[in-house]
Amino acid sequence: MDFTFPKEYHLFRRMVREFAENEARPLASEIDREDRVPFETIEKAAKLGLMGVPFPQKYGGIGAGEIGYCILMEEIDKVCPSTAAIIGAHTGIGAMAIYLGGTEEQKQKYLVPLARGEKVGAFVLTEADAGSDAAAIKTRAVRDGDDYVLNGTKTFNTNGGHADILSVMAVTDPSLGARGGITAFIVEKEFPGVHVGRKENKMGIRGSQTAEIIFEDCRVPKENVLGQFGAGFITFMQTLDVGRLSIGAASLGGADACLEASIQWAKTRQQFGVPIAQKQSVHFMIADMATEIEALRSLVYRTAWLVDTDQPFSKEAAMCKVYGSEVIHRCIDSALQIHGALGYSRDFWVERAFRDQRITEIFEGTSEVQRIVIASQIFRPEGVRISA
Amino acid sequence: MRVIVPIKQILDPAGFVVHRRMERVFVNVENYIINPNDKNALEEALRLKDAHGAEVVVLSLGEPRVDDALREALAMGADQSFLLTDEAFAEVDAAAAALILGKAIEKIGEYDLILTGQRALDTGASQIGPRLAEYLGLPQVLEVRKVSSLDNGTLRAKRNWEDGYAEVEVSLPALLSIAPQANQPRYPHGARIMNAYREWKVTTWSLADLGLSEEELSPLTRLQREAFPPERTLGEIIVGTPDEAARELALVLREAVDW
Repeated sequence: MDFTFPKEYHLFRRMVREFAENEARPLASEIDREDRVPFETIEKAAKLGLMGVPFPQKYGGIGAGEIGYCILMEEIDKVCPSTAAIIGAHTGIGAMAIYLGGTEEQKQKYLVPLARGEKVGAFVLTEADAGSDAAAIKTRAVRDGDDYVLNGTKTFNTNGGHADILSVMAVTDPSLGARGGITAFIVEKEFPGVHVGRKENKMGIRGSQTAEIIFEDCRVPKENVLGQFGAGFITFMQTLDVGRLSIGAASLGGADACLEASIQWAKTRQQFGVPIAQKQSVHFMIADMATEIEALRSLVYRTAWLVDTDQPFSKEAAMCKVYGSEVIHRCIDSALQIHGALGYSRDFWVERAFRDQRITEIFEGTSEVQRIVIASQIFRPEGVRISA
Repeated sequence: MRVIVPIKQILDPAGFVVHRRMERVFVNVENYIINPNDKNALEEALRLKDAHGAEVVVLSLGEPRVDDALREALAMGADQSFLLTDEAFAEVDAAAAALILGKAIEKIGEYDLILTGQRALDTGASQIGPRLAEYLGLPQVLEVRKVSSLDNGTLRAKRNWEDGYAEVEVSLPALLSIAPQANQPRYPHGARIMNAYREWKVTTWSLADLGLSEEELSPLTRLQREAFPPERTLGEIIVGTPDEAARELALVLREAVDW
């Protein structure tokens, strides 16, 4: 049993950490305040291969697998959850759907420019009446000659306003339901009939853009069916399975940043004549944070190893997401408490991190959905089928 | 065109704390990094690669762990790397180190330029560049802050000179030591990081490979004692009203910044 990272991952982590410190951290507050996408950071990240970390080099990636991708998400989320969300939507689900479901031609045409960061990707699933219940989507795709014609409105799409290549789920046969009736498509932003609608005014991760996408008689060539016709729901669920893991990794980074900042502040902040690092109430919070973070780290990287060695990982990935998002919830809460009034001030990053954190319990499958996934994996071998 | 860059691996200063009163150094994390100034030399070589298609060769003298520094250099863009390691190299001084590096460079063969960092962060001796140039019989330009041009075997460079700089011209082959302000070293590309460990190799040379004997390496200098320099007060506090202080600060900055 060997828990050490291969050496290339040490160097990769050091590079990503320096990149995050020098390029992402200086902009973190500004992009939150100004509600703007840090395109300059994304461009620099692309030049270093950071927009295609998990994919093989033959598809324009760097070949670092899920372990490398988790390291990236961990280190970026430590300094800027908005930037992590942009990369996550692009790599972890947008491009990932094409990597998992696409044909060789589709990978060459779409995955290569996405992995190189020349194009931005998005994963387009959610609708007004279909979120956790993903099979309830209404967007229709109807065959017309060599094309499919898409009509419908998708909501809460991360990168939605500026993505070039969209992985989209639509209903092709309403009578068949989720299995058989839903198909995934690769849609270029330039296709006629793709419109960007309203942009969400979010609580946190304000540096990432969340937009509505409207398909209005949008013609998509039949070559752009992603994966098997009628199997779009499965392609999307498999994509989300992997995506989940990286949210656990991002949460790990965010939680670690909370712990580190709390330790440093507790050493500096004097009350009753001593640094608050001398107070047992603070010790207990720090000890709990450190323990949960260590447990999360083991869970995340063991799950990444399961993915990279082609072993089943669905249950563990859901655990990474639900546990990770709840660990960072508790860690940011403790960090804010330790920082006291300073933590509540808009002039300090803890307040932003508190707002940024909350989405991790919602996007890419709520905590409730993760628990359903975990329970169904546990009960399936017992012969008990769980429906939502 | 071939550019050779000798680099040194040092203990990462972020991992240790110097306790002056106890006269002790506490190492919390034993991490090793490429001497930061040597990265400036490597970056300068990589810019010559980008502009003129130069082949960049890195080499380093030290323990087997120096392999990591060479792989990082490969990840940054170097084409070939050589690790000079042998138990006989353990306690060498600057003179012997320059001899070992010099022998290795002769073994590598033809070259046009040797770029070194101006100084190492750990010893601060600034000896390797000049000694290597002497050994190889090369013209040397030290403390180069900018390579201005390179054509027909002639290189022009700006080197630090008292409070300003001097513009110098040198024919190749030559040795340049690169000043820390010369450039901002690049980040290695993610794919090159993976390939540096999974695909590419570091060639190892020992005492025997370099045709050296242990007697040739006997040190000319001996370390007598280590001591802690007196504590310095860092920085300067500017007093006055905010307006006056800002004005004063702007003046100081204007003088300090190299336009």
